[in-house]
Amino acid sequence: MQTYSIFEERERWSGPILVSVGFHLLLVAVAIVGGYLGQPRGEAWGGTASGSAVQANLVSAVPLPRQQEPTQNILANESPGITQSVPEKVKEEPTAIPIPDRNVQRKQQKTAVTPAPDIRRPVTPPNNNVVPYGQGGPINISYGAFAVGSVNGAFNFDGDFGTRFAWYVTVIKNKISQEWHPGEIGPGAAGHRAFISFDISKEGAPGNVRLEQSSGIPALDLSASRALQRIDTFGSLPQGYSGSYLHVELWFEPPR
Amino acid sequence: MTFNSGNSSIRVYSRKFAAKKFLLFLLIFILLASLSPAQDWVRLIINKGTPIRLAVPDFKPASNDPQTAPLNTVFNQTLWNDLDNSGIFEMVGKSFYPLQTPGSPSEIKLDSWANAPVNASFVAFGNLGVNGGKVQVQGWLFDDKNTASPQVLGKQYSEAATPENARLIAHRFADEIIYRLGGGIPGVAESRIFFISARSGHKEVWAMDYDGASQEQLTHLNSIALSPRISPDSSRVAFSGLTGDSWQILLYSLDLGRLVSFPRYGGDNFSPAWSSDGSKIALSSSMRTGDPELYIADSTGGGAKRLTSFKGSDVSPVFNPKTNAQIAWVSGRTGLPQIFIMDADGSNVQQITKEGYAVSPAWSPNGLALAFSWIRHYGPGAPGGQDIYLMDVASRQFVQLTHDSRRNDFPSWSPDGRHIVFQSSRTGSDQIWSMLADGTHQQQLTKNGRNSMPNWSYK
Repeated sequence: MQTYSIFEERERWSGPILVSVGFHLLLVAVAIVGGYLGQPRGEAWGGTASGSAVQANLVSAVPLPRQQEPTQNILANESPGITQSVPEKVKEEPTAIPIPDRNVQRKQQKTAVTPAPDIRRPVTPPNNNVVPYGQGGPINISYGAFAVGSVNGAFNFDGDFGTRFAWYVTVIKNKISQEWHPGEIGPGAAGHRAFISFDISKEGAPGNVRLEQSSGIPALDLSASRALQRIDTFGSLPQGYSGSYLHVELWFEPPR
Repeated sequence: MTFNSGNSSIRVYSRKFAAKKFLLFLLIFILLASLSPAQDWVRLIINKGTPIRLAVPDFKPASNDPQTAPLNTVFNQTLWNDLDNSGIFEMVGKSFYPLQTPGSPSEIKLDSWANAPVNASFVAFGNLGVNGGKVQVQGWLFDDKNTASPQVLGKQYSEAATPENARLIAHRFADEIIYRLGGGIPGVAESRIFFISARSGHKEVWAMDYDGASQEQLTHLNSIALSPRISPDSSRVAFSGLTGDSWQILLYSLDLGRLVSFPRYGGDNFSPAWSSDGSKIALSSSMRTGDPELYIADSTGGGAKRLTSFKGSDVSPVFNPKTNAQIAWVSGRTGLPQIFIMDADGSNVQQITKEGYAVSPAWSPNGLALAFSWIRHYGPGAPGGQDIYLMDVASRQFVQLTHDSRRNDFPSWSPDGRHIVFQSSRTGSDQIWSMLADGTHQQQLTKNGRNSMPNWSYK
C-alpha cells in the first residue's frame, strides 16, 4: 500500500523566513538609527556638567510695561532744580565731660604712654606656669602627675593613701582615663587645667564632685565633671584603709 | 613605615613603593584616621581602659599528691586565659619571667618583676596543693612598684580535688583580680552562655562556660528550640519552642532541671527577652493578628500588653538593661528589617538603622550602645557580608566589629560590657564565637555540630 506523509506536502519556508529575518533586521536597524538620531542632546537637569552662560536676546514682540513718564516732582528728579538742600549742621565740639568708659580710658592711657627709651632692655619670657584663669587660688602643686592614654593629670590624696595603696590610684587613673571623652573638648584647650575634687565612698562610688578651679574653658570644665559622673564605681576602697571615704583632688589637662 | 592613629597602628613592610601600593596605604591611613573618633567612644562604652601589665607565673606545687600536677596545669591554664580574656590586662609573656617561681610572699623578689625584662605593674602568684582529697589554693596579687606595701589581694580556696573545681577556683581568683584592678566591675569568668545546638539531631538549648568549656544539653524537646534567654537571676531560660502546631514561649528551670509552666498564647510566639530586673518579659506574638507584634508581660506571662500595631513584622525585642525604660527591636514596617527603639510603653518610636538589612539588636549593659547584625548593602551582588556592628545610641555613630564575608549574627553582651558573643559561619558552619567589644580577641567557643543564637548570662 502506498503511503503518503502530509509533511511531505508542506510549503517551502525558506522564502518567508528570509523575508521575516530581513524585515526584523530592518526593524533593528531603524530602531538603532532612530535611537541615535532621537537621543536627547545636552545635559539633563541636575547633571554633573558645569553650568554655562546663557545668551539673552532682546525681543520686541513681548509686551513690555509702558515706560513711565518722568515726573516733575523734585524729589524724584535728578536735576538739582532751584531749591537747595538743607545744609548739614556743623558739628559742635562736645562741651560735656564724657562718661568714664573702660575702653576709652584704656585708649587714652595707651596714647599717653611714651615708648621706652631703652629698646635693648631684656624681655622676660612669659611664665608658662601661670594659671590662665581665676588668678591662682588654693591649688598648690604637690600633685603627683601622670599621663594615661589621652589624659594628662595629677592626683592629690589625704595622708599617705597614694603611697600605701598605689594600685588603687592606678585604678582611679585608668577609670577616669577611659571615661574622659576628649572629643567633647574643642581645639585650643591644650595646656589648660581643670581642677576637680570628689569623694569616694567605702563602696567605691564617687560623689560630691566639685569644680575647684576653672580652666577658663567651659568645655574642658564640663567634660571633666562628666567623666566623673559617668563612673558608677571605682571598686570598694582597700581593706587596709580605715577612713570612711577618700577625698581626691585632680586636674584634667588635654594633651597638646 | 608606621602609621599611627589613636590606639591603632599599622606597620607596613614594603620593598617597592609602587604608586598603587602607596595609594592603598594612603587610603588605609585615611580610613584609620577617620575611625579615631569612633574608637574613642567605643573605648568609652566598653570600659576597656589602658591595659595593665600583669605577670602570672605558674602556681607552685605545694604537695606531692599525684593529683597536684594535673590540677595545677588546669588551674594555671584557666587563670591565664581568664585574665587574658578580660581585655584589661597586657599579659607579660612567661618567657620573660625570672627562673625562680614564687609560691608565697616570702619567696618573691619584687625588683625582678618590676624591672626589665618583665616590667610588670602587678604580679599574681601562689601555690596549689592536694591534701586529703581537697585542692587547696593560696593566691596573691602584688603591686610590683610599691615595695612598702605591695599586697593588693590575698585569697585562699579549698574544694574537692577535681578538674572542674580547679577551673572554678581559677575563675574565682581571676574574677577577684579583675574586680580589683578593673575598677569595681566584676569579671565574667563564672558567667555562662546559653545557645542552640543541633548536635543531638534536634535544635535544643545548651549551656557552656564563658570560655566554651563544660558544654551541656539542657532541653530535650525533640522538635525545635530557638532564642534562649537566661533570666537575670540565672534560674530560668526562656526560649521559643515548636509545640504541636504553633510556636510557644517555654520556660526551663535550671534549679529543677525541667520545663516549668508559662501561658500558651494564640498564634506563634517568638524571641522572649527579660527586663534586667526580671520582672517583665517582652516577646513577639501573632496572638491577635496574623502579623507578629511586640507584647510585654510580667515574668509569669500574665497581663500581656501590646506595644506595636504597625503592618509588618515586629520581632526580637530587647530591653535597655540600664533603665528598662526602652526597648530596641526589629521591624519590617519600612520594608527590609531595620532596628528601632521605643519607650517601654510603646511611645517615642525612633528608627536607628535606615539602610540595608539590620537584625538581632543587643543593648549593652550600660545602656549606651546597641550591637546588631547588619547587611549594610543588601541585594544580589552587593559587597560585604552580614557583620556585627556597634552603634552609640545617642550619637548614632557606628563601628564595624567583624569583617568577613560570611554570616555573623545574634550578638549578646557579657555582663561586664567588655565582651560580645555571637554566631558566625566563617569556618563553614554556624559556630559560637566571642570577642572583646571593640572587635579584637575573637575566638571560637564551639566546634561540634551547628551552634547558634548565643545568650550571655547576666552574672
